[in-house]
Amino acid sequence: MQPILKINLSTQAFEDYQIPDEWQRDYLGAASLAARILYADLTADLDPLSPESPLLILTGPLTGTAGPAVGRFVVAGKSPATRLWAESNVGGFFGVELRKAGYDGIWLTGESASPSYLWLNDGKPELRAADHLMGQDTYEIQTSLQTETGSKSTKILSIGIAGENKVAFAGLFCDHGRAAGRTGLGAVMGSRNLKAIAVRGTGAIPLARPDEFKGLRSGANRTLKTDPMTSVLSDLGSAGAADYLDYLGEMPKKYFSAGALEGADKVSGSSVAETILVGKKACHACVIACGRVVNIGDGEKRKGPEYETLVGFGPNLGLTDAVFATRMGELCDRYGMDVISASGTLGLAYSLFEQGIISTKDTDGLSLNWGNAESAETLLHQMARREGFGALLADGALALGKHFGVAEQAVQVNGLELAYHDPRGASGMALVYATSPRGACHNQSDYFLADIGQVDESLGLEYFDRYAGAEKAANVALHQDWRTIGNALVLCHFANVPPETVLDLVNAACGLDLDLDGLMLAGERAWNLKRRINLNLGLVGADDHLPDPILQPLPDGGAEGYVIPFDEMLAAYYTARSWDENGVPLPEKLEELGLVDL
Amino acid sequence: MSAVFPSLEWLQELEKKLNSDEKYAQIAKNWEGDMLCQLDADDRLDKQMLLYIDLWHGKCRAVAMWDEIGEKKPAFILKASYTNFLRVLQGDLDPMQAMLTRKLGVQGNMAVMMRNVPTVLDFVRCAREVTDEAL
Repeated sequence: MQPILKINLSTQAFEDYQIPDEWQRDYLGAASLAARILYADLTADLDPLSPESPLLILTGPLTGTAGPAVGRFVVAGKSPATRLWAESNVGGFFGVELRKAGYDGIWLTGESASPSYLWLNDGKPELRAADHLMGQDTYEIQTSLQTETGSKSTKILSIGIAGENKVAFAGLFCDHGRAAGRTGLGAVMGSRNLKAIAVRGTGAIPLARPDEFKGLRSGANRTLKTDPMTSVLSDLGSAGAADYLDYLGEMPKKYFSAGALEGADKVSGSSVAETILVGKKACHACVIACGRVVNIGDGEKRKGPEYETLVGFGPNLGLTDAVFATRMGELCDRYGMDVISASGTLGLAYSLFEQGIISTKDTDGLSLNWGNAESAETLLHQMARREGFGALLADGALALGKHFGVAEQAVQVNGLELAYHDPRGASGMALVYATSPRGACHNQSDYFLADIGQVDESLGLEYFDRYAGAEKAANVALHQDWRTIGNALVLCHFANVPPETVLDLVNAACGLDLDLDGLMLAGERAWNLKRRINLNLGLVGADDHLPDPILQPLPDGGAEGYVIPFDEMLAAYYTARSWDENGVPLPEKLEELGLVDL
Repeated sequence: MSAVFPSLEWLQELEKKLNSDEKYAQIAKNWEGDMLCQLDADDRLDKQMLLYIDLWHGKCRAVAMWDEIGEKKPAFILKASYTNFLRVLQGDLDPMQAMLTRKLGVQGNMAVMMRNVPTVLDFVRCAREVTDEAL
């Protein structure tokens, strides 16, 4: 592996950190390896926004290679939103450029005395003043720093105004709207007075066995092109299955209180394709190209909305306007805010307004009736700037709920708002959200796809009915382990690459000789390592929960009346994981995974 | 004895069913597009079979057994092994699941297919109700 560039922003000292070989073998890269590297530094009393709190940007062994779908990298640390393990991975081209610049990661500690940005030019790091960049959004800064560094090939990872203001769901953004959005790590970067990282690299991406890898990746890309999910994602984007998810009652409406909404079909990938789509956009070396390019009537070509954006700023708020969702998605991107948490927190505010728990007296006169787009837009601006009623929303749904004495109504787990895949339509997501190491997350396992049949039998996965309960717990754990590997490589979850091919690619890229069991063990090891980190940070078994609204049946729609048998599912999950009744890994499991002496 | 799937007789029974089913007529009232079901040979089917079905606004306009795919391509071509088609027909495999999970390939406008989930599911219901007889 290439070294990690370690930077103390307080002293402006740089050093190369060499990753131990056995750590790469055991954890592979990115999110998993980041957990191993940061394990000792993440303590319960560590303030995530203090200079002592680390922020690690890390690529995986497949990042920047020729595919398939491997442009991603991860940002990791301690979350200011959850105060637990934080990881968020993102596509685009920054991670590729970082590896070409001679580093597999950047490890930030300390705090810059004044606003600064890091310029990493082919292995040569330099901290530069960034006073003139403060207040710029994540789109504007792309142009500014490409001009300042003299190359349009410079790749920039930055925070927006939300990160500067330490909004709890601020993210790090690159390539005009590619977001490491979840868990609030943009606030961590903002707290260090670091506005951006600009990278330019001309080196080669290291591969242990390049000839072997070349043949494998060609075949993998050919296979991927013929996959039906590739067709759906390429033709219709990440919202390609939205119509079906709506039919199943898996698409939330009115902040998870309804299963049906007239006009919900207007926010599907099909609808976008038929109305505003003018092109597609791909991350590095991706044959899928799920990114949308749209024209919303102003003649501009802009980033189109993803599924989470369409639903979060659509049916979640009682709205069905893809153009509005597009605009709000871009606002979030420019401000540097996570669309799921931002729209989820708005959804709670709308729900509280409907119930009369808050009124226009609380909202500075804003009416938050379902379907009110204007208020949502106003509040987005306020959230990023921590102004007005929006300042209350800037700390997320749980904080908002606590403020009004109704924390139980916040649809979140451990401080992270649920993604828009309702577990009442796909019960496996109940366990995924409750046990995810970073709070309610659909990228630790997109089990909703397994619940509609996307199971790879070579991994030992089985298909269970979407309403099945405890019997699917072991399957969920296995799926989480598999996706943990994806988050380590980093392989986009949208790339439906056969596991045997992934294994071959990993072995060729890393010079390993793992079998499929060994690969899966790496996933299980990392899952349990992150569990240990969270236990160290104060997590207890009772935190593996679902919010009250999700435990109630939906009144209508495709999942009407279904109640998740959550307690039985969680008990079975603990058993499947070899965790005790408090959710603590048993000593023999830690022994098996090599996690006893860390 | 009812028609055996897959056969011309089965297609003709399906045509009658689709043209007499009020629920299908209502759900599929906006559907436009013919389709070809390509049943690939497997251990239960000796050779590939091509079943043509022309669907238009809640009605079935024509059915046929094709020997090959000619120059005039239907709006949709659905490809799967005979066994997987049979699993869909017998209710063991959800057709939308099949489309999204490598079990049933689709050539055609995916936007139309995804937008018309209820139509797809009700078409399969009608096909299922034609017969229990299969090769």
